[in-house]
Amino acid sequence: MSAAILAVFLPLLAAPVLGLVGAPMLGAWANFWLAAVVFAVTLTVFVSPGSGLIHADTLGVIFGMLTAFIALTTAAANIAFVRGEQGQGSVRRWRVYHAMCAVMLGTTLMGLYADNIGLLWVAVEGATISATLGVSLPRTPTALEAAWKYFVLGGVGIALALFGTMLTYLAAQPALGPGLNAMSFAALSANAAHLDGALMTLAFVFLLFGYGTKAALVPLHGWLPDAYAEGPAPLTTTLSGPMLNVALIAILRFRHLMQANFSAGGAAMNPGPFLLTLGLASLLLTAFSLARRRDSRRFFGFSSIEHSGLTMFAFGVGGATAIFAGLLHMILHTLVKSALFQALIRGAALRGSAAPGNYGFSHLRGMMATNKFVGWGLGACVFALVGLPPSGLFTSEFLIVSQTIQRIPVLSLPLGFGLLLCAIAIIRNIGPLMFDPAPAGTKPVPAGRGMALVFLHLGIVLVVAFAMPPMLVVALSGISAGLQ
Amino acid sequence: MNLVYPLAHLLGAVMLLCAFALLSQRRLVAMIALYQMEALTLTAAAFWQGFAQHEADLYLTGVITLIIKAVLAPIALRRIVRHFNLIRAVETAMPIGVSMILGVGLVGVAVLVVLPITVNAVTLTREDLAISLSVVLLGLLVMTTRRSALSQVIGFLSTENGLVLAAIGMPGMPFVAELSVALLVLVALLVVGVFVFRIREHFDTLDLRGIEEIERRGR
Repeated sequence: MSAAILAVFLPLLAAPVLGLVGAPMLGAWANFWLAAVVFAVTLTVFVSPGSGLIHADTLGVIFGMLTAFIALTTAAANIAFVRGEQGQGSVRRWRVYHAMCAVMLGTTLMGLYADNIGLLWVAVEGATISATLGVSLPRTPTALEAAWKYFVLGGVGIALALFGTMLTYLAAQPALGPGLNAMSFAALSANAAHLDGALMTLAFVFLLFGYGTKAALVPLHGWLPDAYAEGPAPLTTTLSGPMLNVALIAILRFRHLMQANFSAGGAAMNPGPFLLTLGLASLLLTAFSLARRRDSRRFFGFSSIEHSGLTMFAFGVGGATAIFAGLLHMILHTLVKSALFQALIRGAALRGSAAPGNYGFSHLRGMMATNKFVGWGLGACVFALVGLPPSGLFTSEFLIVSQTIQRIPVLSLPLGFGLLLCAIAIIRNIGPLMFDPAPAGTKPVPAGRGMALVFLHLGIVLVVAFAMPPMLVVALSGISAGLQ
Repeated sequence: MNLVYPLAHLLGAVMLLCAFALLSQRRLVAMIALYQMEALTLTAAAFWQGFAQHEADLYLTGVITLIIKAVLAPIALRRIVRHFNLIRAVETAMPIGVSMILGVGLVGVAVLVVLPITVNAVTLTREDLAISLSVVLLGLLVMTTRRSALSQVIGFLSTENGLVLAAIGMPGMPFVAELSVALLVLVALLVVGVFVFRIREHFDTLDLRGIEEIERRGR
């Protein structure tokens, strides 16, 4: 058995067991050790990537490690979250909650490691179901509303993606014939020039809108801010970052099939304009809606839509460098965003409760008065999100902008405009969050050890952005050259 | 005379007819009956394709469809209707004429999109694909034009029938049974979701009350 299969099925098999653990704290610790073991296994996946249905390529290996790392730090921070929340009833069923954490991790890894478009679809479907159940757990009317919205929108997205998957299989018939081979990414990619281009275009439209729903691209983004704001924080916010990556990577891979067919003179359309339009729409819509949000989780949910759109835009620009930039942006954004949410959860917990509804900017302002570490951590994370140097996101955004100027100069103006508006909307919140007078009755509280993880995330972002290990450079360049 | 094509097309056409009837039907009980008929037709189509393509996998899909979609799901839906006392519920939705015109337009789009680009594909797949895409789009139209959660779920179930119809028509596609099972999990959870989440409270104002609450707390 390969390490990839182990990494996928360990959490999936552990989920029912976690579902039986009654005590919340025991569940939290079990979840932590599970995440630790899975992280250790994902580190070894590049040695035994498996074969057949679950066969991790380099892209899958890198993002698998990232996913498992985030699952590990989330699980560590989750222990403090559960300790604070278990008496307050903000989550009714901790057993389901921990089981869903494990299912989410397993399905995300499955989506990254799958070399089969059917299995990828199943993984995304499983992740959607676990995320929706997770969002519904607080059992408040707003949480149920958010979960229902997520379920219906996600269900439609999944239906569209399945239709696209079947059309892709049909498009592969002339080149690969019936059977499993016509559903393998590796085989499809190797024979991209011989696919039925027209059918592939139709398939791509369905896949783009299907997986685009999961990646929260703009006409289909409606579920994300509500799901982020209403669910139990660690499950629906930090863990869902890696899930967006699965959808984005899926779109990237299908885009490659289209591009390769188009470049080889096939009947496929150029996928660039589709992605550019959706990416730019996401960026601009966020730019205009960020300023009006008063709930911080909803606010940063919109910021996730922005970064999803930006990644899509980078993939749409095309060429090895832009795809490199897009992948780098995904890695950095996932790290920053999960750190930010961990800091937010910590801050809200110090202010009384980390249940949904306690994340208003007005409620969280003046964090320095509560605790200096949390205040600085929160400020640093929000600043990192803006993308100004010395934040790590500066590197990837700089690459994306410069590639746009080089390849599609017309679009650099709206891109820069959107980035600027988003940056202003986000940066406005740093001062009040840290230094405003805190709400009456706020007392200084010790932060707990969890904040070290936030700074660990930020440290990794700095290293990856400005002193990237040569191994990672080689791996990422190889991937982006292969997928351009 | 070769019966493969005519019968496959006939079954597809019956499904399309059911999807159209769903679009115009306002009473929940009648919508469930139509859905059940659609699912039964899908079962027949799966068996017929299994016979035509000599695939045991498709018989399995047919059996699963029969048990879960044509028998269990309608029972659960009817129970929900009784439980929430919706037997006489009539929905306010878009005028029938407008939604029918939209539906015809969608079927036209599906046919115009699919038929020209599948000239090289196997004929059986070709028309089946156009029909199933129409069923999928009509189901989505039902979802968008209805307000109550239950009729949206029925719209989704119809969409999902269209997807399975497409899957069984693909020549030699692996995992058809597995994919349809995965879809069924989603469907089952949707149906259970209506029941467990007690959306009764916001049945008519599904998209309003919770959002008002969110507005009040400050987005």
